[in-house]
Amino acid sequence: MSKRTLRKSMGYIKKEYPRTRTIPASWYLSSYKFKFNITHMKPFLDKLKQKKLVGLQCSSCNRIYFPPRQICGKCLVKPDRWIDLRETGRVASFTVTYLKDPETGEVLERPIVCAQLDGADTSYPAQLDPDIEFKDTYIGMPIKVHWAENIKGGLMDIEYYDSIEDSAKDLQPKEE
Amino acid sequence: MGRQVCVASAGFSEHASKRSDVNMPELVNEAIVDCLKRVPSLDIKDIDAFVNGNMPAFEGSNIPELWMTDWMGARNKPLMRVTTGGTTGGSVAIAGYYSVAAGLPGVDNVLAIAFEQQSQGDTSVGLASVAYGEISVMNSLGIPYDQLTLLLSGGAAIGIASYQATNYMRKSKITEEDLARVVVQNRHNAAKTWWAHLKMPDLTIEEVLDTPYISYPLRYGMVCPASDGACAMLFTTEEKAKDICDIPVFVNGVGSIANETALIGYGGSGSGQLDLSEQLGAQKTSEIAFNQAGIHFPRKEIDYAEVYSPFPNQELMWVEKLGLFEENTATKMYETGVTALNGELPINCSGGVNSTNAIGASALERPAVAALQIMGKASNQVPKTVHTSLGHGWGGYVNLVTMMVMADEPVRKY
Ligand SMILES: [Zn+2]
Repeated sequence: MSKRTLRKSMGYIKKEYPRTRTIPASWYLSSYKFKFNITHMKPFLDKLKQKKLVGLQCSSCNRIYFPPRQICGKCLVKPDRWIDLRETGRVASFTVTYLKDPETGEVLERPIVCAQLDGADTSYPAQLDPDIEFKDTYIGMPIKVHWAENIKGGLMDIEYYDSIEDSAKDLQPKEE
Repeated sequence: MGRQVCVASAGFSEHASKRSDVNMPELVNEAIVDCLKRVPSLDIKDIDAFVNGNMPAFEGSNIPELWMTDWMGARNKPLMRVTTGGTTGGSVAIAGYYSVAAGLPGVDNVLAIAFEQQSQGDTSVGLASVAYGEISVMNSLGIPYDQLTLLLSGGAAIGIASYQATNYMRKSKITEEDLARVVVQNRHNAAKTWWAHLKMPDLTIEEVLDTPYISYPLRYGMVCPASDGACAMLFTTEEKAKDICDIPVFVNGVGSIANETALIGYGGSGSGQLDLSEQLGAQKTSEIAFNQAGIHFPRKEIDYAEVYSPFPNQELMWVEKLGLFEENTATKMYETGVTALNGELPINCSGGVNSTNAIGASALERPAVAALQIMGKASNQVPKTVHTSLGHGWGGYVNLVTMMVMADEPVRKY
């Protein structure tokens, strides 16, 4: 259904306006140079090449940033301590995107998650195993890094996150 | 200590998805004329200074505040532009407040104007320009552009809202029906507001749930429209306000706080906001604004609230985070009619951002409606007497919260 018919079905009272003279024009943003120092990323990317995960810790508040961050906004201190992290983590938040398959035209529902690695204090947008349905995704879901086939030393080395078995049990309250 | 500031009037243009009959200056002019209409003793010549704002790059035309000077009546007068993304209107209001509070000689009546004519330009380009820098950084760190679009299709305003929604829904255990109920209340209210956009007087919860998902759990029928519209608000001193209007509205507290950005973060470094519905920025803003206004029990002391909620889950989230309701109880308030027009604490009786969203103007319309409700001049006026109200805004790089607390009497000084 198009936008218009959808709104109509919802009882939308639309007011029509006459059209004043309208002149089409375009505005192109020119290219620009964005300054960004990535020296703090180097050790992180080097470790990724060895399939190892490290977070950057602020020596003032002990928060661990993964991916590393240049400055800790809480303390105005540059984090400088590298901490080894495990490959497991959890889903901090998630949403679903709807993408059209370019070949079949079928609409795919793909969950996109905010992944938080165990030990890290930050989360970042990442992808889940494409076989996981979005209905099975939940907040707090345990996940594990799935390494890409060709490791290049970039953020895409973590191709996506696999779901792992949730060892937590739903405890029933004790019956009196 | 600055001067006591009052709101003397507020005005709106008509809002629609395509105001094809006017251009940007004409649209702004409509709002200014409507604003001055309510204060007949005042002429445009009596306005001492102007504050103006809209989203940068949305209409594809820059420095609008300068080339529409004549249409605003601002020639040869102090003029300032403020633009902070989705909160532009809220920042414009606060700048107007500061201009009066500062007590500069000859600056008493300040007109704050915010507008957006979204049908003129490409909104998605304007929105994306906020994050181009960070996107280039993530690309240089090894994420190809096609993957980035996939990751960030959940990264625009609606994406952030759907993350907030999943977090909020998990915490408060609400259903999609609860979200639809908020939408229905808003659209019904919009139908009774002359300037609102999505007027749907007969909308039902089933009809909303019948529309397809845009981004789980938000459906097409739940999201805000893109509107053309403008809003103007007149700030003045206590003495002058008493002369020019019947019920002056005292601005007793303002707050504007930027929290950590969500999702992508600075330089693609993610976010420390693990629970996106926690909104520490909003909690801090309300704490500051309520403290200034001498309000210690917002749940009891606030009579009316306008919150910035393009999406229904945000409305539930904001009313809790701003301290108007207990955590996880907002849904019940909508169910039992506490937030309805004749309820105990009416919320968004103008239909809110959910029904009308001219982005630059939206956050100014919130305090504007909240002020008019105190004056008793709002389009969809609540039947009870409103003594205190608040107008809230959200936006920036999805991290800024603005707030203005108003009352029919100045703050009690102990
Ligand atoms: Zn720190």
